[in-house]
Formats: sequence, C-alpha cells, structure tokens
Amino acid sequence: MNTLMHIDEQRIADVTVLRLSGRLELYDGDVVLRDWIDRLVDEGRVNLVLDMQHVIRLDSAGIGLLVGKFLSVRRRGGAIKLLHVTQRCRRLLHMTRLDSVFEIFDHEDQALHSFGVAA
Amino acid sequence: MAASAPVTGRRILLVDDDRGLRHVLSTMLTSAGHAVQSAADGPEALALCRGGAFDIVLVDIGLPSMSGLEVLERARALPNPPVVIVMTADDTSETLLQAVRRQAYRYVRKPFPPNAIIEVIDGALAGARAASLSIEVVSARPEWLEVIAPCSLEMADRLQSFVMQLAADLPEPLRERVAQAFRELLTNAIEWGGKLDPSRKVRISCVRAKRMLLYRIADPGEGFDLDRLRHAAISNPVDDPLRHIDIREESGLRPGGYGLAMTRSLVDELIYNEARNEVICIKYLDQQGGES
Repeated sequence: MNTLMHIDEQRIADVTVLRLSGRLELYDGDVVLRDWIDRLVDEGRVNLVLDMQHVIRLDSAGIGLLVGKFLSVRRRGGAIKLLHVTQRCRRLLHMTRLDSVFEIFDHEDQALHSFGVAA
Repeated sequence: MAASAPVTGRRILLVDDDRGLRHVLSTMLTSAGHAVQSAADGPEALALCRGGAFDIVLVDIGLPSMSGLEVLERARALPNPPVVIVMTADDTSETLLQAVRRQAYRYVRKPFPPNAIIEVIDGALAGARAASLSIEVVSARPEWLEVIAPCSLEMADRLQSFVMQLAADLPEPLRERVAQAFRELLTNAIEWGGKLDPSRKVRISCVRAKRMLLYRIADPGEGFDLDRLRHAAISNPVDDPLRHIDIREESGLRPGGYGLAMTRSLVDELIYNEARNEVICIKYLDQQGGES
C-alpha cells in the first residue's frame, strides 16, 4: 500500500506535537503513526497533540488506531488530544461517538495549555 | 523529523501529444528519482514498450492516430505488461468503463494538479504486485457496473476510484459519504471475508438508478453472526463508545471495529444476506441527484 503519511514532530516541554499529513487508513498511514507513537511512548513521552489539519482521508482503521493509542497512552498517565480536526474527520468522530472521548482543539496554544504548557 | 516512503528509480513512459504536459510531468517524475521516457503518439509508445520493460505507462486517451485505449490494451497484452494509468479530458462513463475493461490501473481526469498524478504513481509503485492484478469485468454499463476482483487491499483504492468516477456528477459531500461507505464495506470484505488472499475473489455490483445508488459486495468468506459482534462498536452502549476495545484486545484483534457503525451512518440502508457474506448498501437521491 501507499505509505503517504507524513509526520512532523515538535517537542514543547513534555508535550509532543505530531503534525500529520496524508492518509490515515488501514495498513497505510496507520502503521506509520502507530510506530511513531510507540517510539515516543517508549521514550516516556506520553503527552501528545495530533494536528489533523492535513489528514486528507481517515477510515475506521485510522479511527481504531487513534482509540487504541488513546487508551494505551492513558494507561501510562498521558493523553492524546486532537488539534485542527477537519469537518470531514469531525463528522466521522461524531458518527462513532468518539467526539465525546477525545479532547478536540481548534488552536494549538489551547491544546498545549490543557497540558499545562505555555505556547 | 518526518516519515514517508515513496518508491523511486522506476521506469516510466509518458504518452501525450501535449508537449507542455509531457515536459511538466517528465520534470516532476525525474525529480522524484524515476527514469522517464516520453512519446507523442501510440505507435511510438508501443515501439518503446516493446523495446524495454516499463514499470508504468501514463497515457492520454485522446492521442492522434491511435487511441490511448488501444495503447492500453496492447501494452497490457505484452509479456510482463506495465501498469497503465489513463489520463483523459473525456469524462463520459463509457470511456471510463472501456478503460476498466482493458485493465487500466487508474483513470485520472484532466485537468489534474500534478501532485495528484504523483500520488497515483506512488500508489501503483508501492503496491506493484497488486497493481498488476486483473479485474474481471462482468458488466460495464454506466447503470450497472459489475466486477470480480482479487482480495487484495490495494484493490480497494483502485475500485473505489473507478466506482466514484461513475458518480462524478453527484455533489461532493454526497460522493464523499458514499465513497467512505463503499470503501469500508469493500475493505471489510477483502480483509475478513477474503483473508487478504488475492487468489480469493470479491464480487462488486454498482447500480445507478434515477433516485438511488446501490452497491452490492459479495465476499468469499463464511459470513458472520451479527449478534456475536461484541468486538464491534455497534454493540456498545450509547454512553460507552470504547466498550468493545477491551474485547478486541482480549481476542488479539487490531484496534478498530468502527466500520459498521460508520457505514450505517453514511448510507440509508445496509442489508445483509442470511450468511452475512453479502451486503447491499443504498443511498437514496432526490430528483436533482442530491442527497435525499
């Protein structure tokens, strides 16, 4: 399959912002993102913000990955929060009732502030 | 830091009588690390194909002297045939269906942003083995497309692209919803019914009526019992959208289980046969062809 998911990482204090672009779909971007988050968690970096602005496609497997990592990071005392979620992705989160599970932010400084970090 | 893995160093043949477009695409693909040759018409393209093995042929349909569809057919009949991507400004369903019947890998409508073609090429190269798999066309009418395809995940992109081109006249939000539902059902059929085994086949029918879009997907699996889908999100109580995740972990399943819940929200009807290895999904249209 395509591996068209592209990730840029920025570390701000103990928060890691991952800017995603491309497709977050079954056996595609989901593998790239899973491995990336696993590596961060192994380093002990468990406060994550996923910037979804340039995620062009999201499917149920991509959503499943977000949920799976949300739970595993939470068990380590951290959190995954979503930033700049497009209308399309937001609709899918709503359909699956996950918009009540994830904290979703429109501004990066608000997302960072929710972790107690100044932008 | 960044992650991405485009395939480079492949041989690509560009066939288009538009010198400007050839130049633009050739420059982009060369910059991406590919070896690119160009041809301005069909005979020249076929001569080049016979003289050397190309990984990908990118061909315009509206060529002088020989149609791009004929180039497609002849190129695919060669020993070690290349993957052929068709470009065209002719957006009729009939042309698309002829391209499907002749084993085009993908059908790209002109004009397109150059990055779009790069993405299609990257996709074809990344899944090179699957890109060469054939689709058996049972019916190629715009009102009734029916195909039989190998159970390979790469097929999902390819089939979704063809099927959604047939619905190109619909409003974009509606197309997006239908495309998402179709892809969820198809990947489900390929992954669970077909066990990702290309020797097994999935049968897909797409029917376009005046007031309805209907997709039927039959997989080669044994089906499932809806009452036992405790590992799927549809079994969750309304106030606990994560309940099924623990069950999936206990069963060794990857995180997920949201496909059926999503699909039910995206279309108007979702009907399974008794064994639940065939599904029909329906989206109703209003008189203007919009969402009913």
